[in-house]
Amino acid sequence: MPVEVIMPKVDMDMTRGRVAAWHVEEGAAVAAGDPLFDIETDKAAMEVESPASGRLHHIRAAAGAEVAIGTAIAWIYAEDEAVGDPPTGDTATTVDAQIDSAEDAAEPMAAQHPRSSDALSSSAKKARATPRARRLARDSGLSLSVIEGSGPRGRIGGADVEAHLLHSGGAATETMQGWQAEAGPLVVHRAGSGTRTPILLIHGFAGDADGWQKLEPYLAPDHPRLKLELPGHGRSPRRPVESFRGLARMVVEAFDREDLPGAHLVGHSLGGALALALADVRPKRIASLSLLAPAGLGPEIDGRILSGIARAGRKNSLAPWLRELVHDGSLISADYVAAAMRARQDAALRAYQRDLAGTLFPDTTQSFDLLPALERLRMPTQIIWGRADRVVPWKQALRAPGRLALHLLREVGHLPQIETPEDLAPLLNNLIRLAELDRPPMTLDAKGVAL
Amino acid sequence: MSMPLRETHSEVRELSYAEAIRDGLAVAMERDERVILMGEDIGVYGGAFQVSGDLVHRFGEDRVVDTPISELGGAGIAVGAALTGLRPVYEFQFSDFATLAMEQIVNQAAKLRFMLGGAVSVPLVMRFPAGSGTGAAAQHSQSLEAWFGHVPGLKVCQAATPHDAKGLLLAALEDPDPVMLFEHKLLYKMKGPVPEGHYTVPIGQAHLCRRGSDVTIVATAVMVHRSLAAAETLAEEGIEAEVIDLRTIRPLDRKTVVESVAKTSRLMVVYEAVKTLGIGAEVSAMIAESEAFDYLDAPIVRLGGAEAPIPYSPDLEKAAVPQEPDILEAARSLVRGRL
Repeated sequence: MPVEVIMPKVDMDMTRGRVAAWHVEEGAAVAAGDPLFDIETDKAAMEVESPASGRLHHIRAAAGAEVAIGTAIAWIYAEDEAVGDPPTGDTATTVDAQIDSAEDAAEPMAAQHPRSSDALSSSAKKARATPRARRLARDSGLSLSVIEGSGPRGRIGGADVEAHLLHSGGAATETMQGWQAEAGPLVVHRAGSGTRTPILLIHGFAGDADGWQKLEPYLAPDHPRLKLELPGHGRSPRRPVESFRGLARMVVEAFDREDLPGAHLVGHSLGGALALALADVRPKRIASLSLLAPAGLGPEIDGRILSGIARAGRKNSLAPWLRELVHDGSLISADYVAAAMRARQDAALRAYQRDLAGTLFPDTTQSFDLLPALERLRMPTQIIWGRADRVVPWKQALRAPGRLALHLLREVGHLPQIETPEDLAPLLNNLIRLAELDRPPMTLDAKGVAL
Repeated sequence: MSMPLRETHSEVRELSYAEAIRDGLAVAMERDERVILMGEDIGVYGGAFQVSGDLVHRFGEDRVVDTPISELGGAGIAVGAALTGLRPVYEFQFSDFATLAMEQIVNQAAKLRFMLGGAVSVPLVMRFPAGSGTGAAAQHSQSLEAWFGHVPGLKVCQAATPHDAKGLLLAALEDPDPVMLFEHKLLYKMKGPVPEGHYTVPIGQAHLCRRGSDVTIVATAVMVHRSLAAAETLAEEGIEAEVIDLRTIRPLDRKTVVESVAKTSRLMVVYEAVKTLGIGAEVSAMIAESEAFDYLDAPIVRLGGAEAPIPYSPDLEKAAVPQEPDILEAARSLVRGRL
């Protein structure tokens, strides 16, 4: 059976795409991975690779035509495969008229699929794949025929698609956006030599492990510090992130790799949301949780500041955005800006972070809601927020359950760990001490069932 | 004007499942004189499983009524009592004997509100000691709850803890329609925290008993405890199972299960009743029809009872329904991609 060429989904908001140009003519030979056609979206132009080797037939969307994502726009026949009848309705306009959404597209198109006289002898059999794998492939514009399944009888699972995306450089388009997908574990920096339960620190969007430097001298010295770096931040690999949940899974994976019996979590901003997600799936191993201006508690976030920082390529364009992060702009000295810019001099790092912001905060909205997770948590937890925070409004803290401790710091912006480390550290140290003095039994809930 | 403090600041005590039900019955009878108990040997004998206990001495024979050894007759009187405005709680000695009373439950209790255009309701509660594991053989060990789950007009609950047994009973007594409470006999002696006084557990709301990220185990009654025990072992192997106690099988709590499966991508349903055409089929189909379908990353697994009557031999009786090692093995295979 011939392999479908479909209009891929290349960014979060995309529902339709325009074919800019074909690189291969009708009837011509093409190899899997060769550039096949270019597409244009509101944001970018990008090249799509051929999903299979063979000859291109039945181009249904000529250059300039716009179609819904998921629509089949051509078919690739194996060299020895007989070419069937062209599908009916052979212009993109007709395709368009019939199809309103990508989801609806698959069925009518399949019904019109060109028949092949020796279809059964063809190598391209229908792939066995789980629904999750099919969804991931669909969303990335991947054909299942290029993925090897590791499950029983060759079934493709979600992990197979994720591995393929990782090793093939992600969705075909990521190199066009200025960064190459990488693989490997997230980096965890160790500091301090105490022997008590370690403190795991998770930085925020566009930060890195160095952002904790001003706070660290004030933290209780008998607890070693583990500083995680998020993908595409600091020295961690640029792993493709499909969603907040995907990012959270990487953090959980990094936590599991450390194999700690327990940890006190401190997370800032996006790192606060991730700390919360981690505490939610590993509740028994998280002794306490301190959230600094955490994301995930409400929809509002200042996207201007996030994208301004992610995009800034020079000190002059970075400095004004950094000053937005803090209450007292004089804290952002020329040296501080220079150091921040040195950490961000790699254009690929900035491109990665720009894409990550688009995934996590589309239309400057926080796309994930962690309030339910916060409701469920039973370990000692506190929220600390600057009342002058211009990135994430501190009033979101008021949505938290009443049993949590809430500290609102006057004349502090979005970076309490830099603006007021000497006031912040006692709050963190106190909760850690309290959690170790008085670990509540975590075996039974009010209904008598083990939590 | 003010809320009674006694209710909002109630003490929590350790009670057995049977004591929790008795406590719930007493609370309801003190609050509402319309509540009466009916059933075979529930008076001075105290009930087949000693659930009603001493209630006849506390509330008298007018409100704790021994009925003749005819389930059809007893159930019929209970339906009639409910129609007159009383709040009867009818106890079967074994859920297996519900077969004798099907006419009253399925054709009368479940239908009257519909057939009389809403002019009447049947606020009836029926209690069914159910399940295997007590060496009581094929006619006294069945799990028939799914039969009733197929009948519009009935609500069907299965409490897994003393807390929920009392709370669901009190919720059932506030419900205007017939509610069937299935009580697993192996749980009657299980102890757990139970608040004093009046409280309810909402009918139709599942309980997320354990949170995990790798597989969702949906279970009922005694299987909740076997699943939780298996989940602890799995956690030591690095598999975090999420365990959901359905608590009510009609109406099903779709939201809780769908959200969990969308998170874990894997579903296992564990129940004691015969595997085919039961609660496992219903939950699986619900997921296949839901927005969680696109998140499934492995086939759905049902662990149910054998396609056979419950045997008398203790070893065979154990083998006929899922046990902790069965749950462990199935969850390992599911999460490690062997299915």
